[in-house]
Amino acid sequence: MKDFEQFDGLGLADLVKTRALTPKELLNAAVACIEARNPAINAVVDRMYDRAEAAIAAGLPAGPFAGVPYLLKDLGVYYAGTITSAGSAFFRDAVADHDSEIVARMKRAGLVILGKTNTSEFGLSTSVEPKLFGPTRNPWNVEFSAGGSSGGAAAAVACGMLPIAHATDGGGSIRIPASCCGLFGLKPTRARTPLGPDLGEGWSGASVGHAVTRSVRDSAALLDATAGPDVGDPYWAPPPRGPYLAEVGAAPGRLEIAFTTRAWSGHPVHPECVAAVSQAAKLCESLGHSVEEASPFIDEELHNKARRVIIGANTRMTLEARGKALGREPKPDDVETFTWAAAESGRELTASDYAGAIRALHQVGRVVGRFFTRYDLLLTPTMCEPPYKLGVLSMTGNNDPQAYLQALLGTIAFTSLFNTSGNPAMSIPLHWSAQGLPIGVQFAAAFGDEATLFRLAAQLEAAQPWADRRPPRH
Amino acid sequence: MSGMKDYERYDGLGLADLVKTRAITAKELLIAAVERIEARNPAINAVVNRMYDRAESAIAAGLPAGPFAGVPYLLKDLGAYYAGAVTSAGSAFFRDALADHDSEIVARMKRAGLVILGKTNTSEFGLSPSAEPKLFGPTRNPWNLEFSAGGSSGGAAAAVASGMLPIAHGTDGGGSIRIPASCCGLFGLKPTRARTPMGPDLGENWSGSSVIHALTRSVRDSAALLDATAGPDIGDPYWAPPPRGPYLAEVGTDPGRLRIAFTNRPWSGHPVDPECAAAVSKAARICEGLGHHLEEASPFIDEEMHTKARRIIRAANTRVTLEARGKALGREPRPDDVETITWMTAEIARTLTAADYAWAIRAAHQIGRVVGRFFTRYDLLLTPTMCHPPPKLGLLGMSGDNPDVYWQAHPRAVAFTALFNTAGNPAMSVPLHWSADGLPIGVQFAAAFGDEATLFRLAAQLEVAKPWADRRPPLS
Repeated sequence: MKDFEQFDGLGLADLVKTRALTPKELLNAAVACIEARNPAINAVVDRMYDRAEAAIAAGLPAGPFAGVPYLLKDLGVYYAGTITSAGSAFFRDAVADHDSEIVARMKRAGLVILGKTNTSEFGLSTSVEPKLFGPTRNPWNVEFSAGGSSGGAAAAVACGMLPIAHATDGGGSIRIPASCCGLFGLKPTRARTPLGPDLGEGWSGASVGHAVTRSVRDSAALLDATAGPDVGDPYWAPPPRGPYLAEVGAAPGRLEIAFTTRAWSGHPVHPECVAAVSQAAKLCESLGHSVEEASPFIDEELHNKARRVIIGANTRMTLEARGKALGREPKPDDVETFTWAAAESGRELTASDYAGAIRALHQVGRVVGRFFTRYDLLLTPTMCEPPYKLGVLSMTGNNDPQAYLQALLGTIAFTSLFNTSGNPAMSIPLHWSAQGLPIGVQFAAAFGDEATLFRLAAQLEAAQPWADRRPPRH
Repeated sequence: MSGMKDYERYDGLGLADLVKTRAITAKELLIAAVERIEARNPAINAVVNRMYDRAESAIAAGLPAGPFAGVPYLLKDLGAYYAGAVTSAGSAFFRDALADHDSEIVARMKRAGLVILGKTNTSEFGLSPSAEPKLFGPTRNPWNLEFSAGGSSGGAAAAVASGMLPIAHGTDGGGSIRIPASCCGLFGLKPTRARTPMGPDLGENWSGSSVIHALTRSVRDSAALLDATAGPDIGDPYWAPPPRGPYLAEVGTDPGRLRIAFTNRPWSGHPVDPECAAAVSKAARICEGLGHHLEEASPFIDEEMHTKARRIIRAANTRVTLEARGKALGREPRPDDVETITWMTAEIARTLTAADYAWAIRAAHQIGRVVGRFFTRYDLLLTPTMCHPPPKLGLLGMSGDNPDVYWQAHPRAVAFTALFNTAGNPAMSVPLHWSADGLPIGVQFAAAFGDEATLFRLAAQLEVAKPWADRRPPLS
C-alpha cells in the first residue's frame, strides 16, 4: 500500500469499511514502515505482529478504528500475555495477566495492536532514552530527542509508521513529544479515561491516558471510544456534552483566549517558542477570537515541591511493590540513576508530606479553575525550549543532576500545571524552528472542556494544515 | 413553649412552606428554635456556639428565596467555615480559629434560605464516632442521656432528635452522618464522593473519604437540601457523576423492584449485637413486603488492607492539621494541645513514609473497585449501620485514661460505614428499629457510585411504609 501514510486513522478505517483495503494489508503496510524506519528511530521496542494477525483473523469488532494499526506505550497499560516494562530493567519480564480497561476499549474500537513504544523509565523523564532500550530519536533530526515520556509513540506517528498511537501524560508526556515531533497531542481532563482495574488514579490525579495523533479528528474519535468511568473508579470526569468527534468542525464561536510566554517557574523561554506563541495568537485573532495577555498567578515553588513529593513517593512505592513481587529489596542498579534518586527522596518524605502535597495541589487547581471563569483558553508555549539534543534528559547518561533537573523542569514548565489542576490541554504543531524542528504551542481549557479544545484545534488544522509537513526520510 | 406551638411537627420544607404562605415569619421560626435550644441544650449539649444575633441580622437583611427560606439551621463546628465565626473542629487547639470567609457549602446553604443560628458539637477533628470532646463536653443522646448521640456529627443529630430544628449540617468521613443518625433515630445520608464541595479551602478531605451533607428527620428535607448544595465548585479536582434529575423528584417516585443484598457480618469480623441484626431482618422484611428482591450477599473486602490504608490516611491528615495550626500559631504543636487519641493518631504519622501514603491511596482504590463491581449485581446493600446500639458515653471519648478502650471500640463502631467512605459510594442510615431499651437502631443502605437517586426513592418508600417522624424521645 503506497499511500498508507496519506491517511489518518479514520481515513484508514474508512478504506477497510468500504473494502478498498483489508486490515491485513494495513498491518503489512505498518509493519513494513516499522521495519524500515525503526532501526534509525527506535520508536518500537516490542513487536507483536503475530498477535495482531491473530486478532485480525479472529475478526475485529466493528469499532470506529476497525483495522487500524496501533501501538501501546510500554507504560501504564497492561495487555494480557505481554510485558509492560515501563522502560525499566526492573520490569523487563513483568508479564501482564489481564488487559487494562483502556486496552479493552481500544480493542473494542477495532484498533489492531501490533507492538509497544519506547518510554523513559516510569515516565519520569521528558525524553525517551531509557537504559533498557536506548534512545528514541526525533524523526526530524536524529540527534535530537523526540520528547517524552511518550516519545516512542510520537516518533512512530511522526515518521509515518502509523497515524495514531497510545500515550499517557503525567506532567506533559503527551504534549511534549507532540511538540517535539510536530503532532497533535491532547491530554484529557483528569479521570476522563480509565486507569483501572489496577489503579484508581496515577500520581494522585496528575496522570491521564490518551494518544498522539496527526489529525485532530483521530484524537476526538479515539477519546469517544475510550472515555468514561470504569466500574469502581474513585473519580469521574465531568460528562462530555456530546461526542468529541462532533466538535471537530463545529464553530467554536468567538473564544476568549489568554496567552502568556512567561513560565510560572521563571524559566527563560527560547525565542523560537515565544515566536510560536505569537504566531498562534495572530492566527487565532485572524479567526475572530479575542486574544489578550494574561496568566493565572501560580505559586510555582509550592507547586513544584508538591509534585516532587507525589512523584518521589509513587516511584518509591513502585519499586517497593516490584521488590515484593520479586521477593527482594530493590537495589540502586535495578533502575536508572535519577529514578533511584527520585525513589530515595520518597524515602525521606513522610505520609503527612504527601497529605500536605495533595492539599497544595488542590489549592493550585483552585487558582487555575478560577482563571478559566474569565477565559475560555490559555495559550502558552508547550515547552520553554525547542527539542533537546539527546543526552541532556537521559536519566543515566547525564552526569550532572542539576543540569538534568533544570532541563527537566524547563520542559514541563508550561505543561505540568494542567496535570496538577486536571484541566485538559493540547499541543498543536503550528511552528517549525529555523533548524527545521517542530515547536508546539499549548492550549489549556476549563476542567472538563475538551470540546472547546477540539473545536479550536480543528479550526487551526483547517487554517494552517500540518498533515503534509513530514520529516525527512532516513 | 411560647410562640409557635406545633413547630416540631414540621420538617424543613414544611416550615419553609409556612413562611412562603406567610402563615409565620422567619423571625418567629427563629424564636421557636432559640426557645427550644435554650430549654433543651443544658441537658443535651448539642449546640456549642450560639449566633442568634447574626441569624436575626440575616433575616432583617432579607433572605434569599431558596427552598428553605426562613428555616433555622445549625452548622457542625467542623469542616465548614462561616466568616467571622470560630470553627473549633471540637479542638482546644482551634478554639479561637476565626474564619475570614464562608465555605462554598455555607454560601450555598445561605442561598437556600437557611438561617444559621449556631454550631453543633463534634468530636475533635471528627475522629471519634461519638461527640464528646474535652473542649465542650459530651453531647447526650436525647433518647437516653447516659448514651452517646453518635458522632462525629453528634451535636447535629441530637439537636434534630430533640426537636430544636428539623435539619442540621453534618459531615461523614467514616460514618459521621450515618452513625449519629442511627443513634438518634434520624435519616442520615452520606452523598457520593465529591457530590458537595469542600472548597475553597480543600479539594477533598482524607483523600476522598469525607463528604458533607446533613442530618434530617424527613427524607425530602435531605433530598431538597442536596439539590441546593450539590455540584462542583470552581477549581474542584474531582466531580461526582451528575444526578439524573433533582433529588426531590426521586422522593415519592416508585423505585421499581430493587435487587437488595443484605449482610449482618462486618468485613472486620466484629460481633454484631442481636438488636442490630434484628434491625436488618426487620428492614429486609419491610423491603420484601414492598416487592423488592432480597438476598444475602456481601462484597469480599480485604479488611486488613482497608483498615491499614484508612489508618495511614487518617494519621497523616491529622498530622497535617496539627502542623498547619502550629505554623499559624508560630509554634510546634504539643501533646496537650489536643486530646490523647488525637495526639496518638498524629504520632502514628511520624513513622509513615510518603510511599506509605501513596500505597494507602492505591489500596483504597482497590477496595473501591471491589465495591463498584458488587453494585453491578445489586442495586443496594443493606447492613446494620453500627455493630451495636448507641454506646454509653465514655467508651469513645478521646481523652480517657485507657486509650486501648478507644482503639478497641472505634473500629467496631465504624465497621459497616467506613467502607463507603473508602469507595465513595452513597449510603444512608434509616431509622426503622428501636431496641428493647428504647434506643434507636438504624440500618444502612449503600448504593452504586453516584446513585443517591435510588437511595432517596427507597427511603421515601420506607418512610411511608413505616413512618418515624412521630417517634420522639422523651423530653427531660
